[in-house]
Amino acid sequence: MIGLEFKKIKHSGLFPTFVIGGIFAALIPILNMAVRSEIFINLEMPPVQILLKENWQMMAMLNVLLITVGACLLYNIEYADNAIQKMNTLPIKEFQLYFSKATLITMLCVIVLLIEAAAIGFCTQHWFQLSQEMVLDIVKHFLYSLLLLLPVISIALLIASACKNMWISLGIGVICVFTASILPAKQFVFSLFPFALPFQMYAGTAEDILRNYMIAAVCEIAVFGIAEALFLKIRRSLK
Amino acid sequence: MNLLFLIRVEFQKIRRSKIVLILAIAAIIMWIPAMINGDVNFKMDDIGISPENNFLIQGFLGMAWFMFPASMIVSTVLLHQTERGNRGILKMLSLPIRGTSLCIAKFIVLLALSILQMVMTVIMYYISALVVSKTQNYDFILPFSFVIKETALMLISGIPMLTVFWLLSILIETPIFSIGIGLASIVPSVLMINTKVWFAYPMAYPFYVITNEYAKLTTNMSDTTLDLIPFLPTAIGISVICLLISCLGFGRSERK
Repeated sequence: MIGLEFKKIKHSGLFPTFVIGGIFAALIPILNMAVRSEIFINLEMPPVQILLKENWQMMAMLNVLLITVGACLLYNIEYADNAIQKMNTLPIKEFQLYFSKATLITMLCVIVLLIEAAAIGFCTQHWFQLSQEMVLDIVKHFLYSLLLLLPVISIALLIASACKNMWISLGIGVICVFTASILPAKQFVFSLFPFALPFQMYAGTAEDILRNYMIAAVCEIAVFGIAEALFLKIRRSLK
Repeated sequence: MNLLFLIRVEFQKIRRSKIVLILAIAAIIMWIPAMINGDVNFKMDDIGISPENNFLIQGFLGMAWFMFPASMIVSTVLLHQTERGNRGILKMLSLPIRGTSLCIAKFIVLLALSILQMVMTVIMYYISALVVSKTQNYDFILPFSFVIKETALMLISGIPMLTVFWLLSILIETPIFSIGIGLASIVPSVLMINTKVWFAYPMAYPFYVITNEYAKLTTNMSDTTLDLIPFLPTAIGISVICLLISCLGFGRSERK
């Protein structure tokens, strides 16, 4: 199934988009440091934390946008020319389609995060001193980010699978990203909004808060997965 | 067929697209946090801006930075995708119409959608200002002429950006690339407005202009006058070139 999804995206440009998007996000901290490193070098904070505090908001926003666009496109290629009807006649559950698409985007996100992690690592090495501890911090941050991206993936695909027309799913996605960017980040309840989760940072956050976010992320993934399964059942019975 | 007729046809095509609904939701969501956090507007002493001005400009900043450009990208997607189903564009191109007029007609629809979004923003502003005036016991409502002036500034400074998005959506056939590049180009405008070459980056124009207005309304922020000299010629140049190339390239891949 997942192999099939990989074949489907061959000519859609999804893979290069994620790679270029990742490189673009990776350039943000590098350029920021290259242009105004003197502001950041003398701050009294761990280097990784400085870098993330300054750049993560924008990088996370790019990640979320990438996922939204990717999810819209993945279902657009199904809905265009009614390919989804052909998929539905096969002995496959429709939810399996959703699940393999989610797996595909997750894999693409891993690539994006790897590129970004490399950039943060490079900045730490080049402008500060990279120690083993810092490498561990970077790895932890990006693993944490991957977990927090999963709810976005599941809800973005849920929206995309629900809308036949790409502009509607993209419109909803864009509105959600915007909502996430204006919600007050300090309040825990608001930051649980799935599109706002990836803006969280690992470094400099207390352990119990981290745990709360991780539990919340897992819960959200489950909720959206169940919602998708129910939605597909209902839609099918109404057809 | 004249241009006016073509424009009417284009409007008919998007009648059932629900784009108005999406633009409306965007405008509504933008003002909800402002309504809830009405009291923040009184804590702006260090910047020296009056609460009612702060209320307006904070909302407009969010609009100019992300929501306005992003909904315009969604609109370009709409204008192209409606034709893609059942190969509508091939039928349009086989009619005795010049591709250029079709392209211009579609761009005018895009322009109309941006005006529509601005109108909804103003309406929502007045509704939310009324609500906040009630909850905070303070008059937040600004004169209509002032609000219209700010809106017009954002709208007009957004036109070069629209032409760039329009060009992207025409030149790049793969939809994900044009959408991806468009959305990705919005994010760095936060950085671009702080550089000296902001005038070369059309996606940052609305945000720059509104930020500039913000600085004008405050007493403690340094006043930056909008230098029209490198800005206006570059903006007009970019718009004309983008429109020209998009008219030339319109329908090229479909004709092959």
